[in-house]
Amino acid sequence: MGPATENRNAHQQRASLRTRRTYRRRHRYLAPTLFLTLCLTVVGTARSQAQQTNPNNAQQEDSRAIRTREFLGLGRVPDAKMAAEGSTIFGATCGFCHGADARGASGPDLLRSSVILDDNQGELISATVHNGRPAKGMPAFPSLTEEQLRDIAEYLHLQVELSANRGTYKALNVVTGNAKAGEAYFNGPGQCNTCHAATGDLAHIGSKMNPPELQQTFLYPVAPQRSAPGVTVTFADGRKITGTLKHLDDFYVSLNDAGGDYHSISLQKGIQVQVDDKLLFHRQMLDKYTNQQMHDLTAYLVTLK
Amino acid sequence: MQLRCILLFSCCLCASPFCGVAGAQGLDPQKLLQQDPTDTWPTYNGDYSGRRFSPLNQVQLANVHALSLAWMFRVRIGGAAMRGVGEPDIKSTPLMVNGILYFTIPDHVFALDARTGLELWHYVWVDKGGHLIGNRGVGMKGNWLYFLAPDGWFISLDAQTGKERWRKKVADEKMQYFTTGAPMVVGNHVIVGVGGDAIDLPGYLEARDPETGELQWRWNSEPRKGEPGSETWPNETAMVHGGGMTWLPGTYDKDLNLLYWGTGNANPVMAGQGRNGADLWTCSIVALNADTGKLAWYFQGSPHDTHDWDNTETPVLFDSQIDGKPRKLLGQASRNGYFFVLDRTNGESIVSKPFVPLNWSKGIDTKGQPIPDKEREPTTDGNLLTIYGGGGTNWMPPSYNPQTGLFYVNAVLGYSLTYLTDTSEHPEGYGGSIRNLWSQHVLEALDHKTGEVKWSHAYTNADASGGGSPGILTTAGGLLFSGDFDGNLIAFNAANGDIVWHFPMLHALGNGPETYLLDERQYVIAGGGDTLYAFALTR
Repeated sequence: MGPATENRNAHQQRASLRTRRTYRRRHRYLAPTLFLTLCLTVVGTARSQAQQTNPNNAQQEDSRAIRTREFLGLGRVPDAKMAAEGSTIFGATCGFCHGADARGASGPDLLRSSVILDDNQGELISATVHNGRPAKGMPAFPSLTEEQLRDIAEYLHLQVELSANRGTYKALNVVTGNAKAGEAYFNGPGQCNTCHAATGDLAHIGSKMNPPELQQTFLYPVAPQRSAPGVTVTFADGRKITGTLKHLDDFYVSLNDAGGDYHSISLQKGIQVQVDDKLLFHRQMLDKYTNQQMHDLTAYLVTLK
Repeated sequence: MQLRCILLFSCCLCASPFCGVAGAQGLDPQKLLQQDPTDTWPTYNGDYSGRRFSPLNQVQLANVHALSLAWMFRVRIGGAAMRGVGEPDIKSTPLMVNGILYFTIPDHVFALDARTGLELWHYVWVDKGGHLIGNRGVGMKGNWLYFLAPDGWFISLDAQTGKERWRKKVADEKMQYFTTGAPMVVGNHVIVGVGGDAIDLPGYLEARDPETGELQWRWNSEPRKGEPGSETWPNETAMVHGGGMTWLPGTYDKDLNLLYWGTGNANPVMAGQGRNGADLWTCSIVALNADTGKLAWYFQGSPHDTHDWDNTETPVLFDSQIDGKPRKLLGQASRNGYFFVLDRTNGESIVSKPFVPLNWSKGIDTKGQPIPDKEREPTTDGNLLTIYGGGGTNWMPPSYNPQTGLFYVNAVLGYSLTYLTDTSEHPEGYGGSIRNLWSQHVLEALDHKTGEVKWSHAYTNADASGGGSPGILTTAGGLLFSGDFDGNLIAFNAANGDIVWHFPMLHALGNGPETYLLDERQYVIAGGGDTLYAFALTR
């Protein structure tokens, strides 16, 4: 739908805002839910889609994982190479009792074991595997070399990482919808074609973004992808200033006009602020999509290679 | 006058610091039992009720325009960013006792002159892990302070000097427990809660001895095998790893001798397929005997939660007439978007009503508990929820004002996508993730008898760089203090939501504002980012 606007008068503003969920341009995370902001990790389908379309995504994922690891206080990053070696040894030697993923079978789940969680460089794990725990029915594995024991330890640390560090999580397949139905929705009830065109602004969008990113973005783009909205301030005497919105709160509005000049205006009685919210329609649609429609649209948009 | 009374009292009775009576600088234990003390702010919430209402009215609607900055104090911790979180963020509510403020950020405790903001001492802890996401403050008994370090250490400090008296380990950070709460002193107990949900762990709440720090009782967030409630879990393994953390301070009714505490989300957090059932007592309000830790009753806000909606938000205690009868009530604006009012003697539901739009629930059951919609659990391809991913509100303190009968909460309207990322039969950790879409912050005033929104104020913010976790204070001066997400500390008319005063701080309000009278002058204290601000009327 075309640019949506809302006309607000500073004096009436509170009354109109008080009618609830009326007006919004930007998106923001709550500081106390840092948990969540750190774990917004929906990038790329299982190590493939993201990296195919955008080489930077792999790096972004790594840095997200590292940041989250630091926040969680999980210690050093497990060595992927050693863990890969350890995976084979663990599967053959330990998997029967502990499960190939170490989450437990007839033997205990090791991801919650203090032997693993208190271990740093294999010192506790190696000793336990080497000596066994006869009292608990775990045999000793004296034939494993020191190097093999270290590899096993690293594999276990990586398993903890993949479970406990939500910065490593990746979305599984989000392309479950029907592309044809999505196309019909795009050009029909979804009214997407009012503003967007598959061969215009959305050409090759399926190559520019990975599917989870694309799904998020058509629903409501994250802040860096949004441009600052336009704003018009009308004074009591009818004088107007138009420009790009810089700041707006309950007390002040500020903007840069077409010439680049900065204006800061106190929201006194009689001053009207009109913000051009290009995303209003996207926001309104969030109340309308069914999950099926959303997934159909995603399936369609990923075909725009 | 008050100060002199305490001085005389303490000189007569308190020859030894261990006698339990406060010295000149210490906290008179009677203050803890007083509702709405005005010359002291002795607990995280100001009193045991959690109402965060002050009868002070020196600052009021008629003169609030003259409310001005009295002093500022900026936290300095040596310049280094805090591990995993960046700049210091004050989320604690300072205690104010005999002219001294005690407040915290993770790993740090400060004592300030409440008249001038002058630093008296600064205690530094070097953690070996744990999350630095926040710290809610200290508890106090006599001359002793109680602090939780992020890596599970429960520490007692001398309030005069900031010197450590002892430390006790209450949670294992290697298991991904962390500790952020303000210890709560109740009689001869210090109540200590824990956090953590990266690894599937059981939650618990402990009472510790104020003199020695030794364990007095422990309440487990999950029943043990065969106990009532265990039928809400599919097996013992899921149950004993089921989560239900106790990270925010609760409230206390001294007449009923009951503690009211909220419990956190179930584990694994978003992948619920390995724990089918209601998963008691996660995401609940529990009433516990303060001397034994025995469960008196529970109310589960989010049965079988799969959205990370801790039900830890403050259970606020107040009394009112319901259908013409006086009732002892408990109100909570829950992270899951529901406003609950219960009879706090027995947990009976009086109001269960959403205060934000939501589509995760199909309504409420006969006990007033929301019924989760199976169709709205996280999915691998994304499930669209008409509620913000962090919930309708979060830990930031709400307020109940007995003069208006309104319950005030900073709410969030929004939408989110929830993903299931671990489809195994026995998932672990979070097992899923959340993507937030559009959202907006709104201050809401709820009728405690019906849950109706009497008025609301949508904060007019345009700057996405904002942050904060604004708590709420209401006063007999007709005022409500809170803040927006751009750094404005704002005073509202508590009756109708009109803005009557504001002050632009350097960072958004991150704690619950508080007020007290000192030298017959009413101060309002607020924390924004790394800075604490004190306001008073210009003289």
